[in-house]
Amino acid sequence: MTEASTVDSVGTAPGSALYELRAVTRTFAKGSVAVNALRGIDLDIARGEMLVLEGPSGSGKSTLLQLLGALDTPTSGQIRFAGRSLENESDQVLTDIRSKEIGFVFQQFNLIPTLSADDNVAIAMVPRESSREKRVARAQELLTQVGLEHRFGHLPSRLSGGEQQRVAIARALANRPEVIIADEPTGNLDSDNAKEFMALLHDLHQRSGVTIIIATHDEDIASTTQRRVRLRDGAILSDTKN
Amino acid sequence: MFSLSYAWNELHRRLGRTLVTAIGLAAGVGLVMGIIGVSQGLSDAQTKALSPLGSVGTDIIVTRTVAPTLSTATTTTTTFGGFGGGNGAGGGFAAGGGGGFFRGGGSFALNAKDASALDAANSSVITDLAKLGPAGTKFTHDFFVPGTLITFPSQAVKDVAKVKGVTSAVGALSLDALHESGTVPKITASVKTGGQTISATVKPPVLTAAQQATERTCIEAIINKQLGTTTTTIAGSGSGSGGFGGGGGFGGGGRFRFGAGATSAFAKCLTPAQKAYQQDVVIPEQTVNEVLNPPTTNTKTSTYTVGGVNPANPTSGLVTKSQLVKGTWLSSNPATAATQVLVTTAYASQVGLKLDQTLTINSVSYKIVGLVNPTLTGDVSDVYFSLANLQTLSTNQNRVNEVLVSVANAKDVNSVAKAIKKELPGATVLTSKSLADQVTGSLANARKLANDLGGALAVVVLLAAFLIAGLLTLSSVSKRVREIGSLRAIGWSRGRVVRQIMAETLGIGVLGGVVGIAIGVVICLIIGAVGPALNVSSTGLAVGASTVSNLVHQTTSATVATTVHLTAPIRGLTIVIAYVCGLLGGVIAGAAGGWRAARLSPASALRDLG
Repeated sequence: MTEASTVDSVGTAPGSALYELRAVTRTFAKGSVAVNALRGIDLDIARGEMLVLEGPSGSGKSTLLQLLGALDTPTSGQIRFAGRSLENESDQVLTDIRSKEIGFVFQQFNLIPTLSADDNVAIAMVPRESSREKRVARAQELLTQVGLEHRFGHLPSRLSGGEQQRVAIARALANRPEVIIADEPTGNLDSDNAKEFMALLHDLHQRSGVTIIIATHDEDIASTTQRRVRLRDGAILSDTKN
Repeated sequence: MFSLSYAWNELHRRLGRTLVTAIGLAAGVGLVMGIIGVSQGLSDAQTKALSPLGSVGTDIIVTRTVAPTLSTATTTTTTFGGFGGGNGAGGGFAAGGGGGFFRGGGSFALNAKDASALDAANSSVITDLAKLGPAGTKFTHDFFVPGTLITFPSQAVKDVAKVKGVTSAVGALSLDALHESGTVPKITASVKTGGQTISATVKPPVLTAAQQATERTCIEAIINKQLGTTTTTIAGSGSGSGGFGGGGGFGGGGRFRFGAGATSAFAKCLTPAQKAYQQDVVIPEQTVNEVLNPPTTNTKTSTYTVGGVNPANPTSGLVTKSQLVKGTWLSSNPATAATQVLVTTAYASQVGLKLDQTLTINSVSYKIVGLVNPTLTGDVSDVYFSLANLQTLSTNQNRVNEVLVSVANAKDVNSVAKAIKKELPGATVLTSKSLADQVTGSLANARKLANDLGGALAVVVLLAAFLIAGLLTLSSVSKRVREIGSLRAIGWSRGRVVRQIMAETLGIGVLGGVVGIAIGVVICLIIGAVGPALNVSSTGLAVGASTVSNLVHQTTSATVATTVHLTAPIRGLTIVIAYVCGLLGGVIAGAAGGWRAARLSPASALRDLG
């Protein structure tokens, strides 16, 4: 079995539209004050792209990431993901989409502290794969992919930050998603580990062609990607390609 | 559905939290078990107290009524139980019993026989201590007193057994016993009378002329008869001494002799005054005054009660085999059974008797083969003999004073009781219900109170345990916001997350249930071992005081006051309830945690980044 087949390339043709956002707004009520986190976002993301969302705190970057990750729905506007509208979908449908098509990598790794590395990967497959053996087998394959073949049974507390984030990538890949959404993935890593992690992401992107969206304010990371979308005060400031 | 390994890991790796929650539940479950156990223990004790007959396998007790139809019976009745009036009482009962205890046998002949039997039984009691040996002899003796429940022939048992609906009728003898020990007192004095020589001078009265004539004629007639003549006359009639002495007239003539018959014949000729002469001798009166020491009374008396049971009938009687606590039942071999006794645990501990020890009663050794714990307030004896043996001991051969009746169908008890009354007019027929009806008051209330309080306490304790488990789970879920948010983010549905939390708390519930049952068992065992004493005094219980016990043991039944040791029985249902409580606690905790988790937005996994 080759590495490429394990990591799974995306079935649909690269370059076709994955996300289409039109006039998307998101308003939160903070007490009696309405906070406009996003004010009319128009954004298209093609399959197989690897892009960075940049912007300072409060720029609306995390809110946009939530909408792209089907974790939240917009107050107004439309979001089409892989040809279907997300804005009016139920929690159940969004959950299903997340489970099937979206992989997440978080700044804090968000691994389950009581589960070993392979179980942490396998847990993502619970909704889709009923056989525990198959889940664990695939989890171990993925961990091997990210260079953690010697860490299967280790609890997160016994892994370094870089290792934990690699487990998180393996988890994100578990259900062969269309897109990986990474929120400040290197925020808790030292520069060496951050570089290693980005190298891993690039490698993954090149081999599998999975779409990767990274939110970051790290210039070093942003400079390595094909496309940079800058946000400020809930609006897109610039959208450039390297 | 959910990840078992995840749930297991959560419980296992967060052992502290798991244990705290489980122990909280377990404490609740254990306490509930203890409370249920105590409640059942109380209930059991009270049920026993409420149905004294049922516990001896009996539905109906037949006793002989003291039905005084004659005034003499009334007066003797009261003295019957004690010493002294025995003989009179026996007679009295003959009259009372003659009122018709025995149907068809109403003839006085039968009752006279009955009376003499009662008499004999009572005579055995009024033993002259002197019969136990010469004065100064140390003695120990047991007297068996019929008490106030008088005996009747065993035939009545057979009569009752014939009544339709009766499955078994067992005769029983329930007596009071007086154990006396001391020294035979000097209470007899020997007075010798007679042997004196009495002399008296007697002057017979002088005969009148007419009397002399009659006497002479009489004697002449006798003489003439002897001589064959008819003319002989006795000349002169002066003094008696001169008349015959110088009798020349006879001497010359020939000889004749008075025969023996003639001598007695002459006596007939005496006048009544001469005949009475010997009887009028009066011996002067003599009064013998002897001072006796009053009888020394160092005799010590202790009382206990005895019962006679049929060894061949271990399921029904004054005590039953099921009430055997230790040892064995009386032997089915009558000869062996005659040397065996059963002793109640209460009496054994009171007087320090042990199993297999020997009890000597009237110079006969009895082996204590079993310790029994009979019904609390019913007809309790201290020592149980085989019926035949007790009948002999107490001079009550073929007599009993109770018939314990079992009825085939519980609903027929009343009709059977009526039929028995008809069969044995004058018999007192007691049913369990008639006894139980008399204790509906304070005892029933106490039981109700215990149940209600216990129930309320159990509910409060459980609710507290559930609340604790719920709050602990809620807090633990709140600490897992990011974890749960992440699960939601990576595609776990709300329901799956709730089920996962539920699986964890159910696991805690299972653990809490099991540990709780263990705690409950320990609590129940401790209660059973410590056995807090509950006093059930028969004076407070209408059952004992007013009916059977009073009838049976007028003098000693005051001690029927029983100490019940509270036990907390563990029943299968209790364990099931406890386990369900544990699971329910888990479900409730899971519901609380699940509710919290379901409200978490999957975005919280990101939003938490701040």
